[in-house]
Amino acid sequence: MTGQPALAREITGFLFLFPVSPPIRAQISAEVKQLAKLVALVSGGIDSPVAAYLMIRRGVEIVAVHMDNRPFTDDKNLDKALHLVRHLQELTGSPIRTYVVPHGPNHIVFARNCNRHLHCLFCRRMMYRVAERIAEREGAVGILTGESMGQVASQTVQNINVVNQVATLPIIRPLIGLDKVEIIDIARKIGTYEISTLPGLCCTIVPKQPSTAAKLPDVLAEEGKIDIGALVEKSLEGMYVLAPEAL
Amino acid sequence: MYSLLKPCKTSAAFEAIPRERFGLDLDRCEEILRPVCTIVAHAGVLLIVNDRCEVSIHKDGRLILKTDSQDLATEQAGRIAGWLEGTDALRKHRDSRGPGQHPRS
Repeated sequence: MTGQPALAREITGFLFLFPVSPPIRAQISAEVKQLAKLVALVSGGIDSPVAAYLMIRRGVEIVAVHMDNRPFTDDKNLDKALHLVRHLQELTGSPIRTYVVPHGPNHIVFARNCNRHLHCLFCRRMMYRVAERIAEREGAVGILTGESMGQVASQTVQNINVVNQVATLPIIRPLIGLDKVEIIDIARKIGTYEISTLPGLCCTIVPKQPSTAAKLPDVLAEEGKIDIGALVEKSLEGMYVLAPEAL
Repeated sequence: MYSLLKPCKTSAAFEAIPRERFGLDLDRCEEILRPVCTIVAHAGVLLIVNDRCEVSIHKDGRLILKTDSQDLATEQAGRIAGWLEGTDALRKHRDSRGPGQHPRS
């Protein structure tokens, strides 16, 4: 495809079991571009920038959302997330508006009031709630995540089902069937791996034994102990937006 | 109190592991540390304070020191230990390991 960076051309077709001829692929992308704008949850990790890249190369317009976990992480994670978005912009030539949303205060409320084992579920459900509100504001039609089956405790079928229940928009997970080696392979090829693996503190409020098979009624009962709506509003009040040229 | 400092997996911080096993009453820790540190957050399961660097204090006594300087991490762990040692914020375990029994002390 003309106008596509060399790296993108190299990666294009990685996920296709059967080769798709360039003209057909270009046609798909044009149709997708008209229809799809997605809110991409971008952490400072390896997976989410790969997921964003795979959808951008399909012609999808991306709005990035970084849930800022400080003080349970450190400043370096935010720096990495913004660095990754900047890299994706440069690589694809696609401008990306970025929202940074304070998520640390939500963790405090979950940790103080709710079942510790379910903490990661509350965290992800809150991310989806916030992403949906941003999608509404941006005219986006879905949420894009870097989730991959079984990679961490929160990404089991049962847990993904519980997290899905909070969303009304479709959740797009381009990495769901890939293993870590495959994801890292793409990340290396597109140059995000080196950024994602820069030093950064992992989330320190993750429970020692996170639930791997949460049940929706249990999660809803725990969430009933806190004012979820107020947390969402507070998160949105505290967020800020970075224009593509500000990155 | 804290003899072991090791870099976190991502090398963005240091972890101080208590020489002897004990638990911490984080509410009492907050009261004791408030006059000498900035309390960043108290999430019930961990307390985050800021002195020379930001420190996450866990109920099991572990400290996560957010600095890439081992000297600063060592100094900060010593300061926290100094403020907490001998106070009722510490709850010793029955099966406390002595310094000689710790695998890396």
